[in-house]
Amino acid sequence: MTSIPNRYRRSHELFARAAKVIPCGIYGHTSPVASLPGEFPYYAARAKGSHYWDVDGNEYIDYLCGYGPVVLGHQHPEVEAAAAEQQSRALCVNHPGEVMVELAEHLVSLIDFSAWSVFGKNGSDMTTWAVQVAREHTGRRKILKVTEAYHGMDPWCTPGHAGLVDEDRVHIHEFDWNDLEAFDRLLSEYRNDVAGVILTPFHHPVFKASVMPAPGFWSHVESACRREGIVLILDDIRAGFRLDLRGSHKLFGFEPDLICLCKALANGHPLSAALGRRELRIAASRVFLTGSYWNSPPAMAASLACLKIMQRDKTPETLRERGEALMQGLVEAGKRHGYAMHCSGPAAVPFIIFADDPSMRRRQRFCAEVTRRGAIFHPHHNWFMSSALSPEDIDSTLRMADGALAQMRDEKI
Amino acid sequence: MSQAAVNPAVLSRLYLHAVLPCLSALVANDSMAQQIVGSARAAIVFRILRGPAITIRLANGSATYERGAARAPSVVLQFFSDRHLNAFFGGNALAVPVPIWGGWRLALLARFTKLTDRLAAVMDGHPDVLATAAGRALHAQLSLIVAGLGLGPLASGDGPARSALAHCPAGLACFLIEGAQNATVWFDHGPATCDAGWGAPPRRPDVTISFVNYAIAFSAMREEIDTIAAIGTGDIKVTGLVPLADGVNLAMERVSDYLQA
Repeated sequence: MTSIPNRYRRSHELFARAAKVIPCGIYGHTSPVASLPGEFPYYAARAKGSHYWDVDGNEYIDYLCGYGPVVLGHQHPEVEAAAAEQQSRALCVNHPGEVMVELAEHLVSLIDFSAWSVFGKNGSDMTTWAVQVAREHTGRRKILKVTEAYHGMDPWCTPGHAGLVDEDRVHIHEFDWNDLEAFDRLLSEYRNDVAGVILTPFHHPVFKASVMPAPGFWSHVESACRREGIVLILDDIRAGFRLDLRGSHKLFGFEPDLICLCKALANGHPLSAALGRRELRIAASRVFLTGSYWNSPPAMAASLACLKIMQRDKTPETLRERGEALMQGLVEAGKRHGYAMHCSGPAAVPFIIFADDPSMRRRQRFCAEVTRRGAIFHPHHNWFMSSALSPEDIDSTLRMADGALAQMRDEKI
Repeated sequence: MSQAAVNPAVLSRLYLHAVLPCLSALVANDSMAQQIVGSARAAIVFRILRGPAITIRLANGSATYERGAARAPSVVLQFFSDRHLNAFFGGNALAVPVPIWGGWRLALLARFTKLTDRLAAVMDGHPDVLATAAGRALHAQLSLIVAGLGLGPLASGDGPARSALAHCPAGLACFLIEGAQNATVWFDHGPATCDAGWGAPPRRPDVTISFVNYAIAFSAMREEIDTIAAIGTGDIKVTGLVPLADGVNLAMERVSDYLQA
């Protein structure tokens, strides 16, 4: 191992041990490779509200929120009480609990086009199953998706390259976000063989600015799917409930046939869900789904509590207000120091990039400097707001950003 | 893992434009190669009929590589096709080139054969070579050069490599071994064209992939370490345009697919 920054000594010691017994040391989206190795903590110790602490005792204002699941803040007392109460009665038993029915009923009442709900643990569980439901319902093979859109880690959609065979994606076809001509070409080329179109409500590729749907994008896709008998699947895993408690399609004015939800569903407890139209119910009943922990009641109790709190507190409004304050403050701070910073994505799921920064080094340095000062900003992945982030947190973060930008300006970065 | 077939034209260019240039570094760093070259003074041309040619010059105890055929060569070794050249470099003893000029210079040809045998031993990681730290360092250095320079041929004719590069941003990627001389290769991935070279990059790289020392480079090149974990520990550093490094690295993996085919 090379020189270890004192700030992250314990993180690096753990990582050195991990690297001996765990492939990659830390794999997947939380791998140091995905952020800035050496500039960010590798391991967390505890979290509360809008803050968390790494294993070296450094404290951070949290703008990643566990990469999305924590929408109300860490260790929300009402959610944790509901989960704990459920767990005191049953953690993992031979049958689902009553809470599964209650949660399905609640979700179906929230998502107005839906007539049914199923549950899993992760986003991939639901997107992969939804694709199968689309194929079962239509009797067709092809799935259309957007280039660089993330839908999970199964072979049909993983952004990884290893362990795949060409046949894994024979029936997966891609078009660029907002490129309706390319979308129409695929529809024409594979007419009567397209089972489903799976899309996120807005485009949030890794490393890049998020892109909102162009005017007319969603209405065009929706009407094409209706016309051609294609199942429109909304992958709302990353944005779901942060933009609109009725599903992100409400914000953008369209209606999918299936919606996949996960991150903000249970405030950090492991749970995902897919909901669909009545017409898809038979296909849904035919496509097998299960997992060892998929019926576990505590996460469902947490979800029910989380959903009710978000409805009671109008959480999406809070997230938008806080996100707007953060983004506006960052852009203004950038201007003060001579940097053009561009916000992208909805305020509740924001991301920021610098103009004239093709190598991303300026953005990387900015995020590293702010993180070092105590607010975690990811340089390559969109951020997540939680309702636990207070106006004081935002102000404190903006002061850190100001200091980081001043230092960057002094160093001519 | 790619099931894509090897394109003979790409493989022949890999030998001509990525493997043979390593002779320069070999002779500069390896005492055995230096002994073989000795005081030889020659220009040896490798040519594919109706295809590309390169020249290796031996002079003053060094070897230099040039694209194209020298005007007054000592020897011209001609191959009838890409497959012919590939078979020769792949070790097929029957696929010898035709010496259309200089075939009578038997001593020179014998000396050059010894030199290419030494190159093969270093690049293949012969046990005698890998027994010393210097041998392992040279193996790592040459592997890095082949991987970097190999991106040019791959980008022009290999489907999986072209696909990997098409999905990554344009920019200049630079691979280097920290603290080592002559251990830097760069690849300039432009919107329409690309270029690769060995030595100082033509401008500030958009992404730099650096190995902390020869030992790490050696292990990484031989796929003997978990490179993701090595990035976490700081043994490999990736700074700048990470998606470019990802795409270039993916394309580079095809080099070994080709040379081990």
